[in-house]
Amino acid sequence: MSSVNLDQNLNTAATVHAAEHHDEGEHRLFGFIVFLISESVIFLSFFVGYIVYKTSATDWLPAGVEGLEVREPLINTIVLVSSSFVIYFAERFLHKENLWGFRAFWLLTMAMGSFFLYGQAVEWAGLPFSFTDGLFGGTFYLLTGFHGLHVLTGVLMQGVMLGRSFIPGNYDDGEVGVAATSLFWHFVDVIWIILFILIYVWQ
Amino acid sequence: MNIRVLLRLAALAGIMAPISLWIGQLSYSWMPEPASAEALLVDDLFSFLTTLGTFIFLGVVGTLLYSVLFQRAARYDEGDGPPIEGNLTLEIVWTAIPIVLVIWIAGYSYKIYDEMGILGPMEHMHMGEAIAAPLTTQASTEPEPIEVHARQWVWEFYYPEAGVTSTELHLPNNTRAKLALTSEDVLHGFFVPAFRVKQDIIPGRKIDFEFTPIREGVYRLRDSQYSGTYFAAMQANVVVESPEAYQQWLHDVAARSPQPGLNPSYDEYQVKVENRENRPGWKTVTPAPAPLVNFPGSPELPVPRL
Amino acid sequence: MTDLSLETAPKREQPVPGEPENWRRFFSFSTDHKVIGIQYMVVAFVFFLIGGFLAMVMRGELITPEADLIDRTVYNALFTMHGTIMLFMWTFPVLNGLANYLVPLQIGARDMAFPRLNAVAFWLVPVFGVILMASFLVPGGPAQAGWWSYPPVSLQNPTGNLINGQFLWILAVALSGISSIMGGVNIVTTIIRMRAPGMTFFKMPVFCWAVAAAQTIQLFGLPALTAGAVMLLFDLTVGTSFFDPAKGGDPVLFQHFFWFYSHPAVYVIILPVFGIFSEVFPVYARKPLFGYHFVAVSSFVITGLSAIVWVHHMFASGTPGWMRMLFMATSMAISVPTGVKIFAWVATIWGGKIRLTTPMLFALGGLVNFLFAGITGIMLAAVPFDIHVNNTYFVVGHFHYVIYGAAVMGIYAAIYHWFPKMTGRMYYEGLGKLHFVLTFAGVALNFVPMHFAGLMGMPRRVASYDPEFAYWNVLASLGGFLLGVSTLPFLLNMISSWIQGEKAPANPWRAIGLEWLVASPPPHENFAEIPTVVSAPYGYGKNEPLIASQASTELASELS
Ligand code: HEA
Ligand code: HEA
Ligand code: CUA
Ligand SMILES: [Cu+2]
Repeated sequence: MSSVNLDQNLNTAATVHAAEHHDEGEHRLFGFIVFLISESVIFLSFFVGYIVYKTSATDWLPAGVEGLEVREPLINTIVLVSSSFVIYFAERFLHKENLWGFRAFWLLTMAMGSFFLYGQAVEWAGLPFSFTDGLFGGTFYLLTGFHGLHVLTGVLMQGVMLGRSFIPGNYDDGEVGVAATSLFWHFVDVIWIILFILIYVWQ
Repeated sequence: MNIRVLLRLAALAGIMAPISLWIGQLSYSWMPEPASAEALLVDDLFSFLTTLGTFIFLGVVGTLLYSVLFQRAARYDEGDGPPIEGNLTLEIVWTAIPIVLVIWIAGYSYKIYDEMGILGPMEHMHMGEAIAAPLTTQASTEPEPIEVHARQWVWEFYYPEAGVTSTELHLPNNTRAKLALTSEDVLHGFFVPAFRVKQDIIPGRKIDFEFTPIREGVYRLRDSQYSGTYFAAMQANVVVESPEAYQQWLHDVAARSPQPGLNPSYDEYQVKVENRENRPGWKTVTPAPAPLVNFPGSPELPVPRL
Repeated sequence: MTDLSLETAPKREQPVPGEPENWRRFFSFSTDHKVIGIQYMVVAFVFFLIGGFLAMVMRGELITPEADLIDRTVYNALFTMHGTIMLFMWTFPVLNGLANYLVPLQIGARDMAFPRLNAVAFWLVPVFGVILMASFLVPGGPAQAGWWSYPPVSLQNPTGNLINGQFLWILAVALSGISSIMGGVNIVTTIIRMRAPGMTFFKMPVFCWAVAAAQTIQLFGLPALTAGAVMLLFDLTVGTSFFDPAKGGDPVLFQHFFWFYSHPAVYVIILPVFGIFSEVFPVYARKPLFGYHFVAVSSFVITGLSAIVWVHHMFASGTPGWMRMLFMATSMAISVPTGVKIFAWVATIWGGKIRLTTPMLFALGGLVNFLFAGITGIMLAAVPFDIHVNNTYFVVGHFHYVIYGAAVMGIYAAIYHWFPKMTGRMYYEGLGKLHFVLTFAGVALNFVPMHFAGLMGMPRRVASYDPEFAYWNVLASLGGFLLGVSTLPFLLNMISSWIQGEKAPANPWRAIGLEWLVASPPPHENFAEIPTVVSAPYGYGKNEPLIASQASTELASELS
């Protein structure tokens, strides 16, 4: 079979190989999206658990706990949600091959993400209940903690991407890493909005 | 040609139908002798499912067998079969047939479930609330349900009208039995094969449960939801007797002073602890000691009637 | 997740022509999908033997009514580990191995989309396998709460140790979940994005369709199990109260999390086996697959339905009547897309030129067993009847009939069918047929009696039982031992054929499919040149070329 039309085959083989190479990045982005969809089901399960507990438990809030303070978390929320816009601009700069603009906005995103984490740490430290205080304590720390872990992962990924932007020629093959990180960041944001509504708004 | 196919199919169905009906009748004998009103309904459903299932099984396997026996490739035949890729009509027909069958089976099962009504009202209750709330909503004429307490690994029954406790369940014949199921530790399951009824018992909830025994005799209650080491030993006898005998029993037993009830798992555990090196095993949750009851009951196994 | 984005495109070297058969690569961190596929299958089979060995001990205990052979705690640990090993260490890995091996070849790709992720996913399997086996050594022994690990039993910790069997069990299952999600992402991406030119979805072999449908289930189902497992782990270790009723938790919620994944998981097992049936029947009946489009699409109908039937495992649990009736209807609806497949296979075989080779026998036997088990499945879906047999041996009989009778036999069919392709050697027909006869008879003798014991009311998960059930249990135990024996001719066949079997040509079965166009075993990057597909699969009797540049005369000469 391979002996038939050798030169014609070589031709097609060359183009096919080039196409394969170009696709690699897109495969990875596609795979990453599949992964994110799957990951969202974990959050969905936790949300369902939270709703079931909240609507059915008899003693929902631990003794002596009235509810949650909303002000600081709201500020936190605004910062995190706006960082989604900031990261979008960072990506735009990269598209236009303005590396310094990209780095500046990228760094700003990281700062906002870190601020969110700091704010959450402060909130946790000041709360009068712990992980083992009933269903509310359990689900509260489970949800915010699991989400916080994702924010932390996002910031770390951003750090890696920032470092990589200094490697010459890093974006010759496209910006899959940056696109994936930014996608992840939007994902983390959307999850937080749902979480905020469930935990803080619906009291 | 079409007529011939139809005739052949009709002939096949003519052979398969009696066989299926016969197996469907046979299926009654695979179950323990029915001892509750619910059991009669369930056995009818099972017979129906068996009949239908046999028919489908024979139809498909018969066709396959015919092919395998008579449509084999000849020894040196390297050729291919006819390249038939499909037949839309046929495919639509065999999508439609299961749809119709499913509606039939589901409808019939629904009807049976409705008639059984084995569960008392089980509307969504708030956790924990059910146990705390007194039964104020219940009409006062209704007799209070017999309380079934499950714990690792012993059954205990409490009859509120007479204030009697036992480790053997007594029920009046031909009377709707009303039970309230509770568990103190883990999940257990209330299961009497002769009655064809079963319900998981969930700690922190009280579950109302109903059925109607229709035959006097002794039956076996088995724990049906795995509950740890001595799960298999968590069984008890159920005695169905005439309402008069039942009342008499309640009356007699009420006078007896409490004594330790039957508790095979605790006994077995004691033996194990005493000769520890006998057989290797891992550490287990300690079984609850035998409850003090008015009436322990008989340790004899009921004679199975099939 | 960082793994994905950090994975730089490995600059793969051109294959060295005539690379020597190197045994060592099967023990290395190879990224070749064919090596990984075989690694998966071999490791899984070792665990199949271990899980089967545990089952032999269980059947030994159950041959008499009393709990006399082993202690009750040991028995409970055995069935927990048996179920866990068989599902998480045998069926999922072996099917992932088959998918790994076959999908790139069948769609005309050089490898999976993410070769390194693939290797990581595989190497997690022995890791969590070892963790699981290690739980036999910790004080208190392995998990004893059944493969469902329902709380509160799974939260009881008689030894009080932090590192206990249940802890290791959750850890192993969580790692298995991570590995399976990696596999799912990889396989789905591969099938959607790496198909050869011309291979549209409707020119794709049904095995790939079925694998895609199965892996989709992993992707939406496993996260729910992971969520439940994480909460259970916190309850067990730090003392949260999610599922602990003593502290206000809800044990039934865990059941929902568990079955939301574990029901669909049974279709993760059976869908690829449906794919195998769809590949094997056309080859040995020499006819195109009947109703290809229906068979292909129905896999995804099953995927969709599988997500909305889980409560049928909880009919006797804390479920209100409306829920029971709703899930009864959805469960029964699965028989529609499944029936479409069954009838299509029967029509494929009908009027063909049938050759009863070992793979064909296993596929036919698996089909018959599946039909039987599917019918008992529909019975179980009927709530009033399920109330009677739930948690009895009827259920145990039902699912061993599907899992052993249909899935394991289907896997055997696949192993025999593709053995020449994978190893470049032919297996011995005689031993294969002996293996088939012993397996088919063993399944019937082992698992049919369980249905009768269950109808009579024998509960599952018991080390002792009332003497009335003894008759059926003796039969089942004998059948179990027969099944144990049946693995011997298989092992003998595989090992000796691989070492000294007759050399296999590229296409010993005159089958149609991209994998049969390359040498046996295939070269390092599968295709010297990525083929362009021009016709639908299963073109038996049509004498048309499968790929461009392959004239039909050439095809004919290739096939003869
Ligand atoms: C590969 C594995 C597999 C497969 C494919 C199935 C398939 C099915 N199963 Fe099974 N099942 C298990 C593995 C599997 N099961 C396991 C492991 C358990 C127990 C877990 C545990 O408790 O530990 C279980 C338990 C289980 C239960 C719970 C019982 C209980 O615990 O009380 C139920 C209840 O509904 C059920 C139903 C079904 C149904 C309706 C199907 C359907 O998919 C079957 C559909 C197929 C057919 C119906 C045959 C072909 C169709 C036709 C020829 C068309 C015409 C037919 C009709 C209209 C009837 N299964
Ligand atoms: C893929 C899935 C799978 C497979 C293949 C099997 C195969 C077998 N199963 Fe299992 N089984 C389950 C999945 C499976 N099972 C599950 C999920 C449960 C539920 C667990 C639970 O309730 O939590 C279960 C439960 C279960 C029970 C019920 C336990 C109980 O409820 O008390 C029984 C009882 O007989 C049983 C028996 C068997 C037997 C005899 C085999 C045989 O077919 C096995 C045949 C044997 C071999 C193939 C091995 C041969 C090995 C040798 C000859 C020795 C070699 C030795 C070494 C390498 C050390 N199984
Ligand atoms: Cu006692 Cu389950
Ligand atoms: Cu199921």
